[in-house]
This record gives sequence, structure tokens and C-alpha cells, in this order.
Amino acid sequence: MTSLSLNNVKKHFGRTEVIRGVDLSVDDGEFVVFVGPSGCGKSTLLRMISGLEDISSGVLKIGNRVVNETPPARRGVAMVFQSYALYPHLNVRDNMGFGLKVRKVPIDERARRVMEAARTLKLEPLLDRFPRELSGGQRQRVAIGRAIVGDPEVFLFDEPLSNLDAELRVHMRSEIASLHKRLGSTMIYVTHDQIEAMTLADKIVVLRDGLVEQVGTPRELYERPGNLFVAQFIGSPKMNILPVGSVAKALPVRPDSAAHVGMRPEDLKLTDPGSGLVSGKVLLSEYTGASSLLHVELPDGEIFLVAYDGPTIDADTTLGLTIAPDRLHFFDSAGQRAS
Amino acid sequence: MTASLTRRRIRIINQICWTLALCIVAIPFVFPFLWMVSSGFKSAAEIFGSPSLVPREWQWQNFIDVFKHQPFARQYLNSLYIAVTVTALTLLVSSLAGYALARMRFAGAALVALFLVSALMVPEEVTIIPNFFMMRWAGLVDTHWPLILLPTFGPQGIMATFLMRQYFLALPKELEDAGKMDGLSRLGVWWSIALPMSRPALAAVAIITFLNSWNLFLEPLIFVSSLDKFTLPLALSNFTDPYGMPLWHLQLAATSLAVIPILVVYIIAQRQIIESFALSGVKG
Ligand SMILES: Nc1ncnc2c1ncn2[C@@H]1O[C@H](COP(=O)(O)OP(=O)(O)OP(=O)(O)O)[C@@H](O)[C@H]1O
Ligand SMILES: [Mg+2]
Repeated sequence: MTSLSLNNVKKHFGRTEVIRGVDLSVDDGEFVVFVGPSGCGKSTLLRMISGLEDISSGVLKIGNRVVNETPPARRGVAMVFQSYALYPHLNVRDNMGFGLKVRKVPIDERARRVMEAARTLKLEPLLDRFPRELSGGQRQRVAIGRAIVGDPEVFLFDEPLSNLDAELRVHMRSEIASLHKRLGSTMIYVTHDQIEAMTLADKIVVLRDGLVEQVGTPRELYERPGNLFVAQFIGSPKMNILPVGSVAKALPVRPDSAAHVGMRPEDLKLTDPGSGLVSGKVLLSEYTGASSLLHVELPDGEIFLVAYDGPTIDADTTLGLTIAPDRLHFFDSAGQRAS
Repeated sequence: MTASLTRRRIRIINQICWTLALCIVAIPFVFPFLWMVSSGFKSAAEIFGSPSLVPREWQWQNFIDVFKHQPFARQYLNSLYIAVTVTALTLLVSSLAGYALARMRFAGAALVALFLVSALMVPEEVTIIPNFFMMRWAGLVDTHWPLILLPTFGPQGIMATFLMRQYFLALPKELEDAGKMDGLSRLGVWWSIALPMSRPALAAVAIITFLNSWNLFLEPLIFVSSLDKFTLPLALSNFTDPYGMPLWHLQLAATSLAVIPILVVYIIAQRQIIESFALSGVKG
């Protein structure tokens, strides 16, 4: 019932168009993640859904209601901000209960719901503290608690974990995942972090310059990227791209329209020089513990990234690279997937 | 062990030196004040006769004569209620206007700001004449209205507005967004979020405004003529003998009394400032 849909939604600030016509539908209970390069409009889109930014044109529906003109608090959405945005002059209890107080929820009902949310997030011992007396992770949890208390139909998160250290980020990530499972609410989540996007999302939306590049499950985006941009944006390290012409002889079957071929670093295998698809010289080998990342320079000067798991390889070693044919990605001259 | 002991000794000596130095520097500031208070307890003859800070004979009578010479209690009350009103009004007006200038995008916002700044450039001595005509036209001469309206909406109020605007601009915007998500109206965000977070600025505006109103001289001189409508600065200059010579002992006793509210306001506002710094203390 709390699905959400955007229909040709646009936003301009003055004369610059920041969101240039976005169509998107989000199902009830779905976890949707927005990714995209910095400045592509992720936050703006999220803020338009929340009602903090108005919609220049297009239609936004939450449930079956058009909410273009509905004020934020009446949309049934809650937002968790990157800076947490906890009210510094209120303690945790009042921070969490503030929205209910504004909505004139009776005091005992308010206390009950704050307690319930506090229990869910293990915040009970912190209820009387002020935000300045909390650690980053605790503040994050209070911010989520504040969102839960209002019992929203849709949760919006704008890079909620980016201010936390790596370990805490992993922990909070799993907490958010289990929260989603428990509440079953629709969630929309903006992040820069690939792993967060891949692990949390039912559906990832890749944005670029105010347009949707592709929408799909993490697996779809990784295994069948719709275009060159998505191919290089999803997956880390980045997919290697070559013009088809430079490896045409060695290539097995390929679509007629193919102009570029992409190979993920983790799909490439080492072979003897001259025997694989391409050959090159190792420039640099970065050891990351679990595996190494080889920077291989091809004869025409292109740098290929190869994830490699095995004994140390010295720089200047020449080697060949090969790949299973079904792991090749082809794109036409316009950058669209060719298959 | 001994090292830490000597380090502690050094720190104590250091502290003593600093305290001494500060005391010496403070003398020029504190001395006139002490002289004023002590002279308020002396007889007219002794003020110039004896340089001692301690009165030879405590003249408590001075503080009674102050109230007999003119309706000093009434005048004191006038000053007090005017200063409180002006302070409250200025806090309200400047925080509302400052918030609008900081956060609202409305047509002509730049023009409004320019208009306000230009009003700051004209000296008060120039505007007092048209202001007088305006007040006379409104029938407000020899009332307290000019003393309330002119500081609130004049240069003082504008300065306060800019001070508040600057402070609001520095507040994190996401907090106000959070307030909107929680269902606050624009006015609600101003009241429940922007104001509580702006206590240092509000305290500063309160001190400045209160002091300014308390010390206002030119306006009362021009707008008020009845003795029982006088404010303190006028009243203080009115402790004279029939020949117009100042009665120093009364004047200084009255001035000593006039300082008390300033001290009170300062202490209250200072605590506000310190507390709110501790409160808003931003931590990564
Ligand atoms: N209030 C505003 N006025 C004018 N331009 C704005 C405003 N807010 C955002 N923009 C512009 O809109 C574009 C998208 O901004 P947005 O904050 O949505 O990007 P983002 O994808 O969230 O980036 P990041 O990943 O860095 O957070 C940017 O080019 C930005 O400069
Ligand atoms: Mg952003």
C-alpha cells in the first residue's frame, strides 16, 4: 500500500536543471538505494520525496496519493540526515519525541512510543543524555530512533553512515538491514559506498546528471550493466573497457553492434604471455591481504586492473590475460549494452 | 616526584603573577566606580575635601535625600520598564527579521537589506529632528513611546537584526530541515529550533539593547519634559541646587543606585552565554 512512484519528476534551481525527468516506482516494503557520482542529484531527489525541496514538475505519489504539495510531516515519511541533525538543546528522549509533540500526540502515548523505539535500538540507558554526550554511533541510532517513533510508511536515509568509522559502519549497516526486515517499511537510501548499496538494496537506482541510468537488483547491475557508465560505476575496482577493434582477433563470438568490450578485474585470469586475450606488463602490484590488485599496462598504453589471488608477482613481469567468454560485456558505440 | 612538585610550584607562581598583573590593569577601570560609590556616602564637603575611598562619616541620608529631591523612584521605574520593554521588543523584532533575512528567499530581500544598512549610515543627530516632527504629529511627545519605538526600530534594532541574521546563517540547516520533517511550521522552526540554539546571540543583543536604553540621553531630553516622566540619565543630571550647580553627593548616590540593574542584567546574560556555549559545543 505504501508504494511510491515518480513520474517525469524534474527540479531546477533557478536556471540549472538538477533533476531532469526521473521515472521510478518503488514497491511496498522495498529497500531502494540511490547511487551516483557526487553532484548527480541523489540528495536533491531524496529531499523532493521528503518534501523539503519542492518539485518543479512531474508527479510524486506516495501510496496512491499525489503528494507534490503536501508538507513534509503529512507525507508519512521520515528522514535520517547525514549529520544526524539531533536537536542539541533536547535530550535523547525529547529528541525522539519531538515530532510526536508537535503533532500533539498525548504525553503517555508519546512516552510509550519513545520507549518502544528506544528498546528496539537499545537506547534505553541513553534517554536522558544530550546529543553532545553521545558517540557518533549512538547519535546515529538516536537519529534512526527519531525516525522510527513517528511510525512512517517510508524511511529516507541520506548517507547516514558516512560519518562513522569503518567498523561501526559495517555494524550499523547490518542493524539497518535487520531494522528493515523487522519493520517491513519502504526505505530509500542514498550512499557513496558500493558495499552498502550492494548488501542493503533490493533495488539500486544509478543516477547521473539528474537522470536515471539504470534500475535493477544489485546482481542485475553487476552482471548485466545496461551501459558503459553503469558498468564502470558498479563494482570495485572498476571494469576494464577496451575498444572491440583492439582485441577483435582473439575474441570469440560477439554481437555485431559491439564497439566496446568490458572485463571485470575479478573475472580475468593470468596465462602465459601472448596466449590470452591481451598481454601486458605489470606496472604495480597492490597487496590488499585477501588478494592483490595488478596494474597491467597493455602495449597501447591502456592500464588494465586485475584482481589476482596467488604468489607475489614482481613489477615488469609480462603476462597474458584471459577470461571466460560469458564474462565479457559488450557495448555499442552509443555506450548501450549490446547483446 | 620532585619534578612534578617544582612544576606545580611554577604553575602557582605563574598564576599569582597573572592575577597581580590583571589587578594592576583593572585599577583604571575599577577606581572611578569605587570612587563614585564611596562618594555617594560622603557629605558634599567631604567629596572634594578628602581623597580617602572610605568615607569619614557614612552619609546614609544621601540615599533618602535622593528620593526627596525629585520623584526619583518614579523615574527609576520609568527607566526600568522602558529598558525591559525595549529589550523584549528588540529581541522579538530582531530575531524575527534576522531569521527572515537569513532563511527566506523573498522578492526584494536584497533591497530590504540595503535599505536597512542605509538607515545605519545617517547619524542619530540628523534623524532626531524628523523623528521629533513625526512623534509630535502622532501626539507622542512627552510620552515614553518615542523612547520605546525609536531604539527598537532605529539603528539599534537594525544592528541587532544583522547580528541575529549572521548567527542564524551559521546554524546547521539540516537541523531546521529535521524540524520541518517533525511537522514544524516556519514560525515553529524559528521558535523551537533557531531561537533555543541562538542563546548567545540573544544574550548579546539583550545586553547591548538594555544598556543602550538605560543610558539613552538625547531622546529623553528632546521628547520628555515632565519631571515624573524623566528617565534616569535625565534625572541624574537634574540633581542641582537652585542655581544649577550639581549636588555631587546626591548625584553620585543616585548614580550608584542606577548601576544596579546593569550589573544584574550583565550577570544573567553572561551566565546565558556561557551555558549555551557549553550546550551547543559541537563535537565531531
Ligand atoms: N539549493 C541549491 N541551489 C542551487 N543548486 C543546488 C542546490 N542544492 C543542490 N544544488 C545542485 O544540485 C546538484 C545536485 O546536488 P545534490 O546535493 O543532490 O547532489 P548529490 O548527488 O547528493 O551529491 P553528493 O554525493 O556530493 O552528496 C549539484 O550540482 C548542486 O550544486
Ligand atoms: Mg548528497
